Amino acid sequence: MMRFKEQNNDPQGTTHEGQSSIREALGIITPLFLRHKKRLLAGFIAVIVVDLLQLIIPRFIKQGVDSLAQEGATEHSLFILAVTIFIAACIVAGFRFFWRYLLIGFSRILEKSVRDQLFRHILAMDQQFFGRWTTGDLIAHSSNDLNAIQMACGMGLVAASDAVFMSVAAICFMVAISGELTLYALFPMPFLALSTKYLSGHLHRRFNKVQEQFSQLTEFARNTIVSIRLIKAYTLEKLQNKQFDQLGREYVRSNLRVALIQGTMFPTATFVGNIGMLLVLYKGGTMVVNQQISLGDFVAFTTYLSLLIWPIMAVGWVTNVAQRGLTSLQRIQRLLSEQPKVKCQPQADLPEADQITFHCRNLSFTYPGEARQVLENVTLDITPGILGITGRTGSGKSTLCKVLLRMYPVGDGMLNLNEIDVNDLDIKYVRNHIAYVAQEPILFSHSISENITFGRQDATDEDVYKAARAAAIHEDILRLPGGYDAVIGERGVKLSGGQRQRLALARALLCDRPMLVIDDGLNAIDVETEQQVLLGIHSAFQNKTVVIVSHRVNVLETADCIVVMENGKIAAQGTHDELLAQPLYKVMVSKQQNNAR
Amino acid sequence: MRGSFGYTEKGEEGRVNDFGLWRRILTYCRRYKIPLAVAVLLSFVVTFCSLMLPRIMQEGIDGYMAQSHLEISARILGLQHLAVVYGVLVCCIFLTNFVQIVLLEWIGQSVMHKLRKQLFDHLVHLDLAFFNEHRAGQLVTRLTNDIQNMHEMFTSVMVTLFNDALKLVGIFCLLYLMNARLALLMTLFVPLAFFITRQFAHYARKVFRQIRSQLAKINSFLAEALQAIDIIQLFGRHDWAEKTYTDLTDEYLQRNLKQVSIFGFFMPLTELMSSGAVALILWYGGGEVLRSRLSLGELVAFLSYMRLFFQPLRELSQKYSIVQSAMASAERIFHLLDTKSHLHFPVWKQAVALDGDVNFSGIVFGYSASKLVFNGLDLHIKKGESVALVGSTGAGKTTLIQLLARFYDPHAGNITLNDVDIRTIPLPILRQTVGLIMQDIFILPGTVQENIILDQPLDKEKLDRILQQTGLEVFIGRLSNGLQTQIGEGFSELSVGEKQLLSFVRALYRDPVILVLDEATASIDTESENLLEEAVAAGFSNKTSLIIAHRLSTVRRVDRIVVMDQGRIVEQGSHEELMSTDSLYSNLVTLDLKNSMK
Repeated sequence: MMRFKEQNNDPQGTTHEGQSSIREALGIITPLFLRHKKRLLAGFIAVIVVDLLQLIIPRFIKQGVDSLAQEGATEHSLFILAVTIFIAACIVAGFRFFWRYLLIGFSRILEKSVRDQLFRHILAMDQQFFGRWTTGDLIAHSSNDLNAIQMACGMGLVAASDAVFMSVAAICFMVAISGELTLYALFPMPFLALSTKYLSGHLHRRFNKVQEQFSQLTEFARNTIVSIRLIKAYTLEKLQNKQFDQLGREYVRSNLRVALIQGTMFPTATFVGNIGMLLVLYKGGTMVVNQQISLGDFVAFTTYLSLLIWPIMAVGWVTNVAQRGLTSLQRIQRLLSEQPKVKCQPQADLPEADQITFHCRNLSFTYPGEARQVLENVTLDITPGILGITGRTGSGKSTLCKVLLRMYPVGDGMLNLNEIDVNDLDIKYVRNHIAYVAQEPILFSHSISENITFGRQDATDEDVYKAARAAAIHEDILRLPGGYDAVIGERGVKLSGGQRQRLALARALLCDRPMLVIDDGLNAIDVETEQQVLLGIHSAFQNKTVVIVSHRVNVLETADCIVVMENGKIAAQGTHDELLAQPLYKVMVSKQQNNAR
Repeated sequence: MRGSFGYTEKGEEGRVNDFGLWRRILTYCRRYKIPLAVAVLLSFVVTFCSLMLPRIMQEGIDGYMAQSHLEISARILGLQHLAVVYGVLVCCIFLTNFVQIVLLEWIGQSVMHKLRKQLFDHLVHLDLAFFNEHRAGQLVTRLTNDIQNMHEMFTSVMVTLFNDALKLVGIFCLLYLMNARLALLMTLFVPLAFFITRQFAHYARKVFRQIRSQLAKINSFLAEALQAIDIIQLFGRHDWAEKTYTDLTDEYLQRNLKQVSIFGFFMPLTELMSSGAVALILWYGGGEVLRSRLSLGELVAFLSYMRLFFQPLRELSQKYSIVQSAMASAERIFHLLDTKSHLHFPVWKQAVALDGDVNFSGIVFGYSASKLVFNGLDLHIKKGESVALVGSTGAGKTTLIQLLARFYDPHAGNITLNDVDIRTIPLPILRQTVGLIMQDIFILPGTVQENIILDQPLDKEKLDRILQQTGLEVFIGRLSNGLQTQIGEGFSELSVGEKQLLSFVRALYRDPVILVLDEATASIDTESENLLEEAVAAGFSNKTSLIIAHRLSTVRRVDRIVVMDQGRIVEQGSHEELMSTDSLYSNLVTLDLKNSMK
């Protein structure tokens, strides 16, 4: 919000830039305004009708009071007046419903549309994008920022139009009674608008802080409860208590800071309104005494003044809401303007390939913003058969897999798929040929069978069972309550690390794609099932390309070729037997096998 | 202005007339008796002042403006006096309002902080069986939303309860004094207003809950999708993700529109009622003026009191539903506070030296009564012995360790450390004696060093020695700031392997007598694992150790291997002993080594 304000005060050059970005930001929502223009128009008309009638009702009251004062009133005339007021009030209620439904409803429609657009955009982004924007950021954008936009386009817009119309009309009526008195009555009002604007800005910021701390508190409590075993094992109860107390204290403090503003803001509104009344009482009273205005005028005038208080407060509030909405919109716009960096210039449609061969030629890769090369001049042919990759933590194994999967950009000529530079291929084309098992098995909180069929929904039950058997998870699934329909997650069944990995493997096997990449995705599987799993992979991927990253000799031994990586380079390459002479590999093998000898 | 309908759990409504509950809530406020009394007093002041304002206005009209037979200067002087009184009252209202709001917030927050702290402290000391029975989300809700609910009651409700109720009573008194019949007429509106607002609160609360739960669904799907973005992209499921998401947001939109309709219907009703009341007063009251039973000024005052009348009425009935949900929350909170741990916590009068002689005898235990994990298990581990537990998932290896760390007590049988029953050892001492290294790791936001020493005093020398012995200097050296590197959320992420190394150092730093490793090396690369094992062998040769590992290669060095199956010990012995016979273990090892591809 502050940033936006500064932009307005900036010298010429930067202002222009700021404005153009505002225009771009507004470009997100203008089509929606245009699409719903009839709805909006009807809504605004309803607002105006309500305002008009609200202004007319005090006229009727004035009429009644005046007629009583001039002793011209009869029971019948009063009854007619009362009925008129009641009918007008009914119409007001009806039109109020309409504007709420039309305008606030519109803001909700707009919110949904932008939310969906945002999600669609995020889905198409690459890994570098997700490095820059954390999950927390993105969720915050899709909740806080959208809230701010919805608020600005809903209540903000209504309040703005309402405030403008109401205050103009109320002031007109007041001026019609007495211009001089109006000046007196309005004298404190700018102060109210300014203080509301100032205070509601602060309130919003402080309130955000409170919410942030509330979620910190929640997160801390959740973390503690989730890892209660560890906390007990390390006797951290006291430490946690102390930290929770600390967080709680800060939370209390922030709440009090909010209370200070709230305690000022609402009493200030009453105060300013009352001061206006006071001026009217004194000045207006004097005018009645001097017979400049009638007593009925005086009463009507006080009614108009009370009608004015809300619009004046709204002016301050609306400016804040609009500013917040605009800033949020600019943030969303920045997110929407991000483009994936992975190059993709698809040439002519290629037929599906049955076999996959990757050629890495001096493949180098550096994570954005880091100096160290994670991959350095890697030259490697990945052909049908099993390729094992091993090496220390941080030697670049995972990165290599991710580059193959086109999750990160590569330079031209560094990576060829079936003799075609991957930069000339559609990303989807590359990915459609590769099944992938990640280091951390990520599953959805859906049923087991939905998880397995994630990559191929048209699979028959028989296919699913086959994949599950190949991944040695079929028996485990049958033992679960609900079997294949069991739901995974906090509300459902809990799976062990090994089971999750085998499930992720079954998901990949079911895809039946010409290439399989397993990025250390078998490390939690226990010895008894490991052989079964390897057999399963072997039978499912005969004559296909398989890349397995692993520390385990058992797994690597099954490979046709093993690559040992060190510091982003290939340190050695060969079959298991050939590599027994390589120092790093030798240590690993002797360590893992010494109980056989 | 904050979530003004309170947090509710489905199907629960608090009983507002539960006096036992009220008494218990009030015990928390005892310390704040005086500030509370001040707040009540301020309520009287605010109410009195705000009710005086229209009265003065009426006085101005009746006493001076309408008195055309008095002298002009006297009338103006009278108005001036009134204006001064009016001004003083206005300032008074402003100040008392401010002080009252801040004061009540302070009281409410302090009381809630105390309650929250007490609840948290109570929670972390409950036993694990309790945490197995309750979902984490539910417990978090007790600590946050339920407390927040009660706080809402304390501040906004207390204020409005005092102010609005007082105001209503005051207005009624004034109206009755002015004109009893007209006042009686107004009384008719009270039940109507109350009924309408209660209906509104009911519907609004319901739809709020629906909206909230749908938003939670959207956000959890979003979080899940973002976490699984690789998988979605690699398996080409964009369309599915988009469809699922838009279906969720569609439902959210529908629920929001429903809320808009409910608000659109009920919000104007109060206004309508107030206008109706004005019409009624004008008609009936005007008649009374014609019959000279009411002065014109009184009628005008009546009209302006009407404006003051409906707002507190609406607030009061709305706040009633907050009180209801707060009472439900209080009930849930106190219920949790009354839950006792199944474990009792002994205190030592005299310290006993513990060494690592562990004896499990006749252990009977199951997580649920119907399904026992152990039925009479015996195992003796001598001081300084290293033992590996081997067996398939569900054999009870981890359960055995959890019993040793006293996360649970066995139903029958006992566990002793050099003949001292662990149930008589204070928990902190027991858990320091038994150094547990688990598969999952808990990282506190802070530096690496803070994560290692935790609640222990800093002994730099010891830390350096451990790092050197375990060869973890290399790992620390790789970090950008060494031991002072910030880790945890928002800072650099450690890999799973690095976290496991960290938890090793953490456990060793606490000088455990018995070292327990539960699958603690699964993600550490072979080289580091080697180093660690050598370090453990060198530095802990005199210490008892208990190891669970999937990789049989890692357990070869231990003195004794215990093979478990379905809660029973099926065989035990050294690696050589077991390998020389046709044991389950030797089969496993052969399987491990068999290379089917060769």
